[in-house]
Amino acid sequence: MTAAPLAVRNATLKFGGVTALDDVSITVNDDELLAIIGPNGAGKTSLLNVTAGFYRPQKGSVELSGKDVTGQRVDQIARHGLARTFQGTHLFAGQTVVENIMIGRHMLMKSNVVQAFFQYGTVMREESEHREAAEEIIDFLEIEAIRNRPVGTLGYGLRKRVDLGRALAQEPSILLMDEPMAGMNSEEKEDLARFILDVREARKIPVVLVEHDMGVVMDLADRIVVLDFGRVIAEGTPEEIQKDPAVIKAYLG
Amino acid sequence: MDPSGIFPTSYRTDRRVVRTRWQAIALAVFMGLLLAAPYLASGRIIAVLNMMLISAVIAVGLQICTGYAGQINLGQAAFMGVGAYTASILASKTGMSFLLTIPLAGFAAALFGFLFGLTAARIKGFYLALTTIAAQFLFHFAVLNLPSSWMGGSNGITVPPAELFGFRIVGETSQFYMNLAVATIMIAGAFGIIRSRFGRAFVAVRDDDVAAGIMGINVAATKANAFLIGAFYAGVGGALWAYLIRFVGVDQFTLFNSIFFIAMIIVGGMGSIVGALVGVFVIRVIQEVIATVGPNIADSVSFLGGDIVFAGMNVILGGVIAGSMILEPKGLMHRWNILKSSFRIWPFPY
Repeated sequence: MTAAPLAVRNATLKFGGVTALDDVSITVNDDELLAIIGPNGAGKTSLLNVTAGFYRPQKGSVELSGKDVTGQRVDQIARHGLARTFQGTHLFAGQTVVENIMIGRHMLMKSNVVQAFFQYGTVMREESEHREAAEEIIDFLEIEAIRNRPVGTLGYGLRKRVDLGRALAQEPSILLMDEPMAGMNSEEKEDLARFILDVREARKIPVVLVEHDMGVVMDLADRIVVLDFGRVIAEGTPEEIQKDPAVIKAYLG
Repeated sequence: MDPSGIFPTSYRTDRRVVRTRWQAIALAVFMGLLLAAPYLASGRIIAVLNMMLISAVIAVGLQICTGYAGQINLGQAAFMGVGAYTASILASKTGMSFLLTIPLAGFAAALFGFLFGLTAARIKGFYLALTTIAAQFLFHFAVLNLPSSWMGGSNGITVPPAELFGFRIVGETSQFYMNLAVATIMIAGAFGIIRSRFGRAFVAVRDDDVAAGIMGINVAATKANAFLIGAFYAGVGGALWAYLIRFVGVDQFTLFNSIFFIAMIIVGGMGSIVGALVGVFVIRVIQEVIATVGPNIADSVSFLGGDIVFAGMNVILGGVIAGSMILEPKGLMHRWNILKSSFRIWPFPY
């Protein structure tokens, strides 16, 4: 059996006296869409930040495809195949859609500065190859018509799509999404939900989804992990979670 | 931008710098005029063009560091000085050819710049600006206080002329061709860098360093590289300066000069190579006009006295810079792009 794309083992994260994560373990399997839910302050985003390397856990480890990446820099973890989208967006606003997605290809490209200075042809050949991959993602997300628009001029729903496209351009082995549905209308939510399902099915990329919209979570997720006060209080399929008394008490109400 | 209704048919054409036949013709005519300039223009204009070419190399480097990568750099003149001194020392003490001293001057400046780039990994904005000012003072301190047999101390260093196959490159005209050749290579290389993955990484770090990290971009290394490349350009420019003036002294590379380079990229437009060139042209022309008009005013309105007129001229130059920041904060290139896109869709409003 191959190692799981992502495994967080016994992670504990404290900010001073506040325990954000208390001995949290999650494992994401191949082709799985795992949702993490919980009330505000339960530690969902902290868990993503520990996984992506923004915070270093005091205890515990993070493994990507069996490789321990605990304590590595954000960009090193990204190079091990982890991509994430942000709550709100962290796009490069002045750049066009194509340029944003091409930045996602940065770590897959190999030319060095001296080549960029002198060897126009070699570098341009590499550019064209990666541009083709970028265009394929643009095609997948149905944003062809806006590819040369600056991202700052786009609506929120489209920006979230570009954000997803930029993460996909990294060809990740695992994709983390932090509240992708926040602030969207129901039409935009449906579109994005469709793309998230496509990511898993057509591209075989496992997804970790942190989300507040219960309708979305129950429809999309294969498995749900419920956090409360930094601890995992339940784990299971959407049906099991809906019936779990602890979850109902803490969150679903 | 292509004319309306014309679409690129390959990724290569979509990324071209020179996109239409008219742009190619305009570029060819411009280069042709530059090549013919010594036969068309007076020596005074060639002298000004020499200054412009050298400034262009340095301003383009600053544009990469500050305009693209967003790392404020008030030490560009010190990096230029390191390059100028390196070239002078190598040329005067070892008799090395300028074909070697110019790139070595670039590398020496790049190393010095890289040290300050390392600090940029930890600090931003205002604090970074202060740290790069330290580059200026460190440079001055080192030159003035190290034994004068090393770097000439306060006496400066006299530079032997550049030589190529026994032909001495002296006089404004032959130096003009040397500067033009070097500047063309450096500017073409700058286009290569900013259009590659490195250019995109610089912009990513400038716009959002959190997101840049998650894209697999090493943010600290990218910032240090921005300083390294920017300083390399300054060093090459400094070496050209040393060969042009044939004498280097520490007071040629002051904070005042650094601020002028910043002014050039602000007036021309941040984040545009062509903008840096436009800025160099505008600022150098203004300086030249002031240098020409100033003495005449001082002569004709004698009661003002020369000192007041010259001080006043700097005030005018400062006013031009302040005015351009108020009226056109994004620089002249921004205005040009607006004009271009409205011409492209004319007669429709959008």
